[in-house]
Amino acid sequence: MSDLDRQIEQLKKCEPLKESEVKALCLKAMEILVEESNVQRVDAPVTICGDIHGQFYDMKELFKVGGDCPKTNYLFLGDFVDRGFYSVETFLLLLALKVRYPDRITLIRGNHESRQITQVYGFYDECLRKYGSVNVWRYCTDIFDYLSLSALIENRIFSVHGGLSPAISTLDQIRTIDRKQEVPHDGAMCDLLWSDPEDIVDGWGLSPRGAGFLFGGSVVTSFNHSNNIDYICRAHQLVMEGYKWMFNNQIVTVWSAPNYCYRCGNVAAILELDENLNKQFRVFDAAPQETRGAPAKKPAPDYFL
Amino acid sequence: MEVEIDEKELKAAGAEPLTDGRRGLRIHGWEIETLKCSILNSSNLQLFEERLQTSHLPEMVFGESSLVLKHVKSGTKIHFNAFDALVGWKQEALPPVEVPAAAKWKFRSKPSEQVILDYDYTFTTPYHGSETIEVDTGKCGKGEISQKRCNLLWEDCEEKIDVGSLASKEPILFYDEVVLYEDELADNGVSLLTVKVLRVDGVLMRLRDTRMHCVFGVSANPIILREISWREATFEALSAKGHPSDSAAYSDPSIISQRLPIIMHKTQKLEVPDNL
Repeated sequence: MSDLDRQIEQLKKCEPLKESEVKALCLKAMEILVEESNVQRVDAPVTICGDIHGQFYDMKELFKVGGDCPKTNYLFLGDFVDRGFYSVETFLLLLALKVRYPDRITLIRGNHESRQITQVYGFYDECLRKYGSVNVWRYCTDIFDYLSLSALIENRIFSVHGGLSPAISTLDQIRTIDRKQEVPHDGAMCDLLWSDPEDIVDGWGLSPRGAGFLFGGSVVTSFNHSNNIDYICRAHQLVMEGYKWMFNNQIVTVWSAPNYCYRCGNVAAILELDENLNKQFRVFDAAPQETRGAPAKKPAPDYFL
Repeated sequence: MEVEIDEKELKAAGAEPLTDGRRGLRIHGWEIETLKCSILNSSNLQLFEERLQTSHLPEMVFGESSLVLKHVKSGTKIHFNAFDALVGWKQEALPPVEVPAAAKWKFRSKPSEQVILDYDYTFTTPYHGSETIEVDTGKCGKGEISQKRCNLLWEDCEEKIDVGSLASKEPILFYDEVVLYEDELADNGVSLLTVKVLRVDGVLMRLRDTRMHCVFGVSANPIILREISWREATFEALSAKGHPSDSAAYSDPSIISQRLPIIMHKTQKLEVPDNL
């Protein structure tokens, strides 16, 4: 058994790698990812997955439902880290699978794959706690810069973490972005990772909270038409039912973190596309409490007197 | 989070746990109960949007969760739920807090082409509980209960909650935490309505806090004290006072509460009526 296969087995048990192993893995991953396009081509059949957010044991449920990699081809739409208890193991397992089976699994970048966001939402603290230093966080966030920004399945389905950008009307415009950098605060790259479809706006809307744009049905119609695609598949927003179509099936949100933050009670979904691009959503629940590691038990009242 | 109740301690305090899978306890004529449910599904979320006449709701609305404090004899019920809290948000209609990123955006975008949504996305609410009187109208044995919304007679007062007596080492008979709604502010911060903690990273922290206290067995009719305090400061003001200005230093509400100046404070008293 190769070192890499051994590491994958270890990560599947939710045991993190040694710091030196992480460093080596990231170097290998970088060589693969640097070759990928900003609009990475993906062949069908493929199974599309939305946000995971460090919920390692729920991702194992996902693989149970969807089949193991490389038997099933996967496309993950980002937000691997933050929020859940096991961002380190979750991201490293996906990265190790990427290095082992580069043509069988595609990872694109979510808005949480960022130095700034991970310092606030858990991944930074988790690395520090599990390794006693921030080196692993540095290796991982350096890899984030190399992750592709979107994927195109059989030239028919466009996949991205967040959504569209007013600065982008063609896929070629995405291809020209220099992506190897921290997610910027504005511009096309930021928008692809942050924007949301919104019923009540027709064209473009600007949210008061300044995170990406809101885009309406007509924007999606014209994007799909001019790029000759059937529909857009994206993640980024929690959906109670695991997936949600909008604008007459022109865009679908897929969410793959069941019982988000261990308390929302939502189901999760993945979208399976067969070789003819026939769709099947598979909905799944969170892993049962007894199969996950550390209990989520908190001690007594924290904020009281 | 699991609630652990020590049966012996309950008994010694003259209390008993609620049965039939309900979380909470009966004590001194009161029922204290928490209900914790999933976030609203899409159709119920839509119902909330219609009833509130808004198209913006927090990312996670625990619409069926609540905390209920019920005085059994009088039918007086003080309870907390997401819908009523959001009614308060809608009415208060604070102007939006502008995050640093949004300020930058306005310069680069042409307003004529875009709708700028103007609503308080932090979902700040003056809410401090809902009140209902439950009247048992099922005199013929059917046990039907009708509820009516009411305004209990809270009076402003000088008394304060005796924090000293709360700090004494009595066993905690019941503790639970109910989240009514929560929003990640699209990753610009966190807003959470339980203890009403709010932080917009890089701009503002706001904490609205309501506490109620009732001393059992002192008078015939229970007297409840309610303290409402609002605290708020900008990150700029905090750093001017020498406090840290990065958001990471403010994940703990206790620390937040110590550093934020009080902008509104009042104490009120309610004597729960004997019978209605």
